[in-house]
Amino acid sequence: MKILLQIGVVFGVYWGSQCIEAVLPFPFPASVISLLVLLGLLLLGVVKVDHIREKSDFLLGNLGFFFVPAGVGIINYANVIWENAAAFVTICVVSTVLTYGATAWAVHLTCRLMEKKGEREK
Amino acid sequence: MSALLESPFFGVTITIVAYWIGVKIQQKTKLAICNYMLIAVVLLVAVLVVFDIPYESYYVGGNLINLFLGPATACMAVSVYAKLELLKKNWLPVLVGCTVGVATSLISIFVMCRLFGLDREMTASLLPKSVTTPIATAISQDHGGLVAITVAAVTATGILGNLIAPMLVRLFRIKDPLAVGLGIGACSHAVGTAKAMEMGETEGAMSGLAIGLCGILTTVAALGFELFL
Repeated sequence: MKILLQIGVVFGVYWGSQCIEAVLPFPFPASVISLLVLLGLLLLGVVKVDHIREKSDFLLGNLGFFFVPAGVGIINYANVIWENAAAFVTICVVSTVLTYGATAWAVHLTCRLMEKKGEREK
Repeated sequence: MSALLESPFFGVTITIVAYWIGVKIQQKTKLAICNYMLIAVVLLVAVLVVFDIPYESYYVGGNLINLFLGPATACMAVSVYAKLELLKKNWLPVLVGCTVGVATSLISIFVMCRLFGLDREMTASLLPKSVTTPIATAISQDHGGLVAITVAAVTATGILGNLIAPMLVRLFRIKDPLAVGLGIGACSHAVGTAKAMEMGETEGAMSGLAIGLCGILTTVAALGFELFL
């Protein structure tokens, strides 16, 4: 019964988020709405982590499994990827390197600025 | 026979078996390139091709598994909530880092898509590729992308990030665990985070935090996609 209730909470939050998605005037995925809603409920204390622990451990612990069928869909688009193989590889490599560098430096500089400000205030 | 292949139990069972084989191989080899998702997808594609099973038959069961992607994303709230103290203490660098990371990822991908002359469908499929799969696929679908291409690009990016993370740390000469963790999470989501966890506790926690935050920020930024696509 415990697990069943946990599934109920998570699925209920998700269904509620699908309702919100349907009335929003712009495209915003229900999955991200449900993340925000559940985070809000946790912060407000309406839902406790214990209420959903086993269910969320099951879903997050096997996250990779749930993408597999979508990944197999590549079988229908093999020619699209093949035609654009050079673009595909270049985009993956270059954007990964740039994103890492930009994020790491942005964090580094922000921390340095905060330290300097902290010193001045002393 | 074809009626039996169209039973949802067929698709679900072979997916679980393929995934289990993938996890076992990864545990044995401990190589990032032997990613369990990649192995599972390759095995299933091979089975469908060799036995000439239509994708549609497989998808009767596959769709049942797909159903859990949304609720799984909701549960990511639990991991963000668990790191709330860490977020409160470092909210400014975390927010600045993730915003800059998301902007860099989107702009660089968009510019390269234009340079390669890719069409709208491919561009929409590739744009969200740096964030976690359930969020990336939702964004791709909302903006007319092909979900399968997005899954391929997200997986490739994650594996790449996992493989080259130590090189990136040396290349950009930043050792601060906060910066390293957020950088890895922003560029290569959960697969990269596995490597960040090996590097250290702070790196792993920060990388995990970046997954959720970059996903949300990318979704917000995606509202502006229509202006450019």
